Amino acid sequence: MSDILTFIVFILLAGLAIGSALAMVAQRNPLYSAISLIGVFGALAGLYLTLAAPFIAAVQIIVYAGAIMVLVVFVIMLLNVEEEVRRPVRLRYLVPTAVLLAAVLFAEAAFILFYVNDAPAPPSPLATAEPSTTGLTASIGTGLFTTYLLPFEITSILILMALVGAMTLARRTAARPQDLVVPGAQVLPLQMVEPARVGDDTPVRSDTTAEAARTLGLNEQEQTRE
Amino acid sequence: MIPMSWYLALSAVLFTIGVAGVIIKRNAIAMFMCIELMLNSVNLTFIALSSFFRDVSGQLFVFIVMTVAAAEAAVGLGIIITVFRNRESLDVDDASVLRD
Repeated sequence: MSDILTFIVFILLAGLAIGSALAMVAQRNPLYSAISLIGVFGALAGLYLTLAAPFIAAVQIIVYAGAIMVLVVFVIMLLNVEEEVRRPVRLRYLVPTAVLLAAVLFAEAAFILFYVNDAPAPPSPLATAEPSTTGLTASIGTGLFTTYLLPFEITSILILMALVGAMTLARRTAARPQDLVVPGAQVLPLQMVEPARVGDDTPVRSDTTAEAARTLGLNEQEQTRE
Repeated sequence: MIPMSWYLALSAVLFTIGVAGVIIKRNAIAMFMCIELMLNSVNLTFIALSSFFRDVSGQLFVFIVMTVAAAEAAVGLGIIITVFRNRESLDVDDASVLRD
């Protein structure tokens, strides 16, 4: 009875995963693709549960469906992406090539799978032994902070690098100057050259503040006094 | 009990769909999502093997793969935003030169 139930759950989740993945590739609107991908992530989280890995299932939902996909959907809406326009394709045989290459890849994977199936069975299958504690949070935490402590710490460095990199990339670079700038000279708003003209942003090109004032013919009295 | 090979076959199917998507899609964000799909199919393999061999290492690997995927999402979407700002387009055919 339990076996049949597990079987039905597996078929449902696997069908949902494959169907959502195909829908994701077939959709032309990136937002629909993103929603289909969330379906794949949900189905995979269910499959992790059937594999007795509740911690990873929860992390899958929280990190993938919760954080990464929100980021993707946010970017899609920020950039206001419309549907992919059909345009004259430069690479005409792209889709047949893709399908062919994917078929070759799948054949390779299937060959390896059936080859492995001929090998001796795993030493301790889940069915025969007592309930597994492998996927529980405690065992994962123990493994993470003992055997795999160094990769865990390297991961934090990786996150830091990604943080800095993303900020550097997304920072809006300074607007390009519209007029020619002589090297060594500076362009100042008139407001800074002549304090009396508050709010006047006329650009003044000069090497020094006094020279800018002279260029504009301002402040004659002060210069003669100097 | 579901045989392990079923999980591995499902993972292979998902990975293949991801590869085909990366080749077919022209939208940078869609290609990005196909890469996420491939990462997830590998995660499924890790979890299946870990669960069948009763070894926690596979699940720790999945943990690290997820971290890498999150970092990749942050940096990749930053690059996509920069490309869009410079070219007003997300089509990868438009981003065919490195300058500007």
